[in-house]
Amino acid sequence: MTTTTTTTPARDQTNRLTMTRTGSKMIADYWEDLFVARENGKKIVWYNGGALNPMFQAAGLAWCHGEAFAARLAAQQLEGPAQLAGAEYGYNSELCSYSRTHLGCAVLTVQGSDDPQTGVVGLHDRVDLASKLPSPDFFVNNYAGCSTGQQWDEVSFRIFGKDLPIFNISHPFLWGNKPDAGYLRGEEWDSASQYVRGQLVELIDFMETQTGEPFDYDKLNESMTYIKRAAELRQEGLELCKAKPAPATFWDWIACIAPINFLPGDQALVDYFQGVKDEIQHRVDNGISGIENEKYRLYFDGIMNWNKLGFLSRRFAEHGAAVLAGRYIQNAFWQEPQLIDTSDPLLGMAQHYLLCPTNHGSKTLDYLTLKDTADYDIDGLVFHATRTCRAFTGPQRLLAKSARDNLGVPSIFFEGDVADASFYKDEILESRLVAMLEAIDVARERGDHKVAGSGAEVAWPS
Amino acid sequence: MSEALEAQQRLQAVARDPRAYLEQWRQAHPGGKVIGALPMNFPREIAYAAGVLPVIVQDDQKPVTEGRALLAEFYCGYTRNLADQAATGRFDMYDALFMADHCIQLIGSADIVRAVTPQPVFFGMLISSLSDSWAGAKIAEMMGEFRSELERFSGRTIEDHELRASIVAYNKDRQLLRRIFDDRSAGSAVHSPTQLQDYVVSSMVMDPVEHHRLLEAAVSEPASRDRDARVRVHLSGHLCHAPRRELLEVIEDSGALVVDDDLYTGRRYLSTDVDESLDPLDAIGKWYAQRNVNIPCPTRVQHDADWDEYLVEATRSSGAEAVIHLMPKFCEPHMLFYPELRKSLEAAGIPQLLIETEHEGIPLEAFRTRVEALVELTLRKRPVHV
Ligand code: SF4
Ligand code: SF4
Repeated sequence: MTTTTTTTPARDQTNRLTMTRTGSKMIADYWEDLFVARENGKKIVWYNGGALNPMFQAAGLAWCHGEAFAARLAAQQLEGPAQLAGAEYGYNSELCSYSRTHLGCAVLTVQGSDDPQTGVVGLHDRVDLASKLPSPDFFVNNYAGCSTGQQWDEVSFRIFGKDLPIFNISHPFLWGNKPDAGYLRGEEWDSASQYVRGQLVELIDFMETQTGEPFDYDKLNESMTYIKRAAELRQEGLELCKAKPAPATFWDWIACIAPINFLPGDQALVDYFQGVKDEIQHRVDNGISGIENEKYRLYFDGIMNWNKLGFLSRRFAEHGAAVLAGRYIQNAFWQEPQLIDTSDPLLGMAQHYLLCPTNHGSKTLDYLTLKDTADYDIDGLVFHATRTCRAFTGPQRLLAKSARDNLGVPSIFFEGDVADASFYKDEILESRLVAMLEAIDVARERGDHKVAGSGAEVAWPS
Repeated sequence: MSEALEAQQRLQAVARDPRAYLEQWRQAHPGGKVIGALPMNFPREIAYAAGVLPVIVQDDQKPVTEGRALLAEFYCGYTRNLADQAATGRFDMYDALFMADHCIQLIGSADIVRAVTPQPVFFGMLISSLSDSWAGAKIAEMMGEFRSELERFSGRTIEDHELRASIVAYNKDRQLLRRIFDDRSAGSAVHSPTQLQDYVVSSMVMDPVEHHRLLEAAVSEPASRDRDARVRVHLSGHLCHAPRRELLEVIEDSGALVVDDDLYTGRRYLSTDVDESLDPLDAIGKWYAQRNVNIPCPTRVQHDADWDEYLVEATRSSGAEAVIHLMPKFCEPHMLFYPELRKSLEAAGIPQLLIETEHEGIPLEAFRTRVEALVELTLRKRPVHV
């Protein structure tokens, strides 16, 4: 919940993309629509994990991504009531804070389902966002990698009395047993892709049963066409951020997660990412940087600390540290748009669900991290040891060691959490960050910072 | 010393020092291969049929030292212990590791093991969503993969008759173990919880034929001890590794008598036999699915398998008056499901106590006080005879 010790960073030295304000408006509108979806005659699905929204869009449903809702509550410092309800219900504070925030909402929803007409709980108390979540008509779980993600929806299903339908998609963990296993290749990848694709076909059947309507494949293709284009623009924008100084930062891209992760696939989405890319291009052309006086280029590993988003961006900028890349950005959210065939998108969608950054063995993660570290000419890595997200934190020590051993790039760890501010200790981040930046300065003076230097080629390990 | 006592001591020794047993086994089986199987559902029958000794990797209860540098301190104690075993070379007693289960912390630690030990680590992920219409086919497919991989690893073909013989050996051992647990829940208080834990853990380590022989000897002398007046409790939780023995002792020392459990190193492990009348590989697949029906596990997702209902029912059949939840600190599946258990037990009027167990530094005296409080509370609910 919310007690934490933080000191306010000095003057704001970030230069956030203005376009993200448009994104915020689109997101706010999306949630407002969701809150009245039942009144508007829509069925509502609660889901977790990979971005199934184009499927729901094509099925004419309203969708609520549990993680996204928990993240939104945390980002707005509104997670308290839901987490308290969860704690009262019996959830331990060490449990994934996304899940216990969202499960707390489920508890509130069930406790307060006193308005059968709208299904919107607590209309009498609109201030409390946690209780505005409309109850679901059914659940779909699409969580890859993390077992908690799968179990969480099962528990939601139980909180709602086991009365609502639920559909589960299973994703093989991309472990890499076979010698030909690699990123986007090998028998394991191919068979897992087909397996998940098959389950998406089953999901379509399930949704047809729930809605009583035939599934609109054309609509899916259309939505995926927009999403693919938006994802390409996002990739192009990310590519531009390799420039020095960086025109935009990881924090700008964090603000772009919600649009790419769950907003409808439509022209507005494409326009948004076109706008983001154009703004970045304009900055590159005019030498405008994402923070004042970029001195260091950093990589951020870990799931986001939503309570501290703005704070962290200012904290790093204050030290001249441009955070440019991170697993949660470069390696997530439709990050390989070339895999999507817009005339038959199910396979490419399945593949993206498998590409969740918690669904890889450390060999692949190491490859991806080293690659981004080299490509973005990173000076240091910052690991957000996300207290209640064991899925993200598991391989972090190995990744830190590999970056040091292979590229000579140092790392720091700081503790925080996805949606529970009490785990964040500002003094720890501050002192470790300062120490690492000083060490980088010393190494630069000695001329031995980053053995591999800029543009090192990172190959798949043999 | 009587044969029974000798056998009991031998089983205890193996349970508490698997390494020594494996050294002896290797001496007796030159060239023989040993695999470490991570919990909870790896089909040991397939490995044994290939002439390989499959040993379920235990929390060796040593303090975490070098493993600290590999895995965050907010991982559960078992997985941190695994990382530590890897970091300090304690996995050298296995020729390879196999894993079948979907728990993210287990996967995280296995990834560390893979990165720092020379042994190969094979992960054949059994589907954990068991209500799906395709679950049976996926389980069968994965059991086939285990068979191929173990054939590759052992360098020999696994014949169906070998698989059958292996199934019979494990069934026989499980059945004997189960009889002992059934006797306990029916009223016998002959075996202490630590003794039973030693019997189960030794079965996880040993050759099943050898284990069965010893276990038969261990329980061969007719002994009977009825329950005394202590409060009858059911121990619930610890889904993948053993709770510390000291804790079990404190529980029985504080006015409680353990009459049943659903611990991994207890009833959960031995709940289910493999059907000997079916095609052997098919039967092993069905065994995996059935285990979650017999004792539901929150690491699996199955909409009509309810651990909470199981728990209430188990207390009824054993006569347990209270439940002690043993929840390993940071165990996500247990944390997620605990409120459902609590709710059902509350509705059934069964007193309960949640104990969060830690890998190191267990505050035993604090636990004692809390168990005593549970005992007192439960005693007050006993019918008064005048
Ligand atoms: S632990 Fe992390 S990956 Fe798992 S459900 Fe929670 S936030 Fe998602
Ligand atoms: S089941 Fe619980 S105790 Fe076992 S590995 Fe998973 S998190 Fe740890």
